[in-house]
Amino acid sequence: MKPWERYWFGDVALARPYLVLRFVLVVLAFDTWLNMMPEGVKYGVGAFNVAHFAWLDGFVPSAGFYLGVLAFTGVLALSQALYRPHRIAIILIAAGYTLGWACSLLDSVPHHYLLSLYLLCFVFFPMLSARSAFSRFAQAPRGTVPAYVLFCVTTAVVYFYVAAWSAADGQPYWLPMICSVGYLIASMQDRAELRALRWLTPILVAAPIAYHVRAAERGELLLYMTGIAIIAFAPAQWIHIFGRTLTRPARSLIEEHDGDGIDERASQVFYLSLVGLAVAPMVSGFVDLPGVKTGCMLTAFAMLFVMGRQLYFTPRWRPVWRVASLFGGCLALWITVTTSHARFDFYREGALDADRRGDHDTAIVYRQKAERYAP
Amino acid sequence: MSSAETEPPPEPPSASARRWSSRFIAAFVFLQFLIPLTYLTRDDAADERFTWRHFASPAARSCETSASLERLDGQREPIPLQRLIHQDWVDYVAQGRRAVVDAFMQWECESEDVLEVEVTNRCDDDGGTHEYTLRCGSARAHESSRTALR
Repeated sequence: MKPWERYWFGDVALARPYLVLRFVLVVLAFDTWLNMMPEGVKYGVGAFNVAHFAWLDGFVPSAGFYLGVLAFTGVLALSQALYRPHRIAIILIAAGYTLGWACSLLDSVPHHYLLSLYLLCFVFFPMLSARSAFSRFAQAPRGTVPAYVLFCVTTAVVYFYVAAWSAADGQPYWLPMICSVGYLIASMQDRAELRALRWLTPILVAAPIAYHVRAAERGELLLYMTGIAIIAFAPAQWIHIFGRTLTRPARSLIEEHDGDGIDERASQVFYLSLVGLAVAPMVSGFVDLPGVKTGCMLTAFAMLFVMGRQLYFTPRWRPVWRVASLFGGCLALWITVTTSHARFDFYREGALDADRRGDHDTAIVYRQKAERYAP
Repeated sequence: MSSAETEPPPEPPSASARRWSSRFIAAFVFLQFLIPLTYLTRDDAADERFTWRHFASPAARSCETSASLERLDGQREPIPLQRLIHQDWVDYVAQGRRAVVDAFMQWECESEDVLEVEVTNRCDDDGGTHEYTLRCGSARAHESSRTALR
């Protein structure tokens, strides 16, 4: 293999792509519900909008559309993190999330673009089961995962530009530059023969953590970048032990036995899954935010599409676990929204904006809801 | 117990798959290097999207904005920005984000009998005044700046 191919197609510990995919999906789900949904009230006001891309300019997203897309993305992301992800579902999450921020300049948070790049990398990740990423042996399984290396390089490029623009503006640039170099080194650590490199890499995790803590950024960005850095920089053995402990219940409860085949349970599982798919989105009816019910129903359709033939032709418990993960996603959305300030913030901001614009009827409706959901 | 057994890792890609993956990776990385550089060619210095100039949203300038329009009969009317669009859009207009200023002025031009739209921003930080004028039917607003005497 040429050096180029050796870099991209060299072995990485499979625990890293397994954990980083699930970590980002879980944080993304709660990020969309807690931080992005309350902002949704700004959408569609006065039917004025400017999109990030000219080809989207003709479309004016409403609050219902924006919240629906976020509910769809969040529920699907969490359900994929809870049970064996499916590539089609990851494509839908990437598309939904990107559409969510791209449809309006109202969402100009720089790291939302970064997350879209990450989701694009995830589309090409191997959809690993817990068993394939974590063996029962002490040795961490390794494999060729070029998309994971691309994920690390993407992060390195971002830090490189942060450092380069800082240098151009005469500001300190050494910390983001160390982060950039660190990610390039971290992407090679699992196949490096050089012992010094394996010693150095875990120490370099201090750079991204220090950079984001010093920058006093929004909480969710700090969480994303710290978690990703720990997964990318930690020694393979530590990550393996952590992942093995974390997935022990999944490996012993969820993963089906190899001997499972087509049997008489097929129709029972089929009907059970169908009922589950129909019932799960109903949980969102209690959320009381525009568009959320539609978003959750679309997630159920997406799940049906993802399961495809598996729904009937796989009599194993896989369809049931998929539906259970959808239930988990819808329940988590409901619990998150009802126990946080998200819904209150949405209606309070809506009332304030409607008052400012002199739309007192809308302001009254929003204020009543804000009072109902006040913490 | 079979659930604790190890599944084989994903198969290493074939030579042809490696070739195609390499092309995709090269294009993806090249674009990632290229896109932030487009900042150097942008008319609007405030438009820092996709450039990684900042990891988080940069602090916005503090500016005040006012807008007016001229009717075909020569009558000039103020535009109550805050009553028409969300405050976030008003802030974008006040900060002089060209894409939003242009879109807002074009949007106003869609009303009947409007000949010209004008937006004036006064910013505290550089003490400057920026005026944008759009003759309805034109593609882009004309911008003029004045720095206040200190």
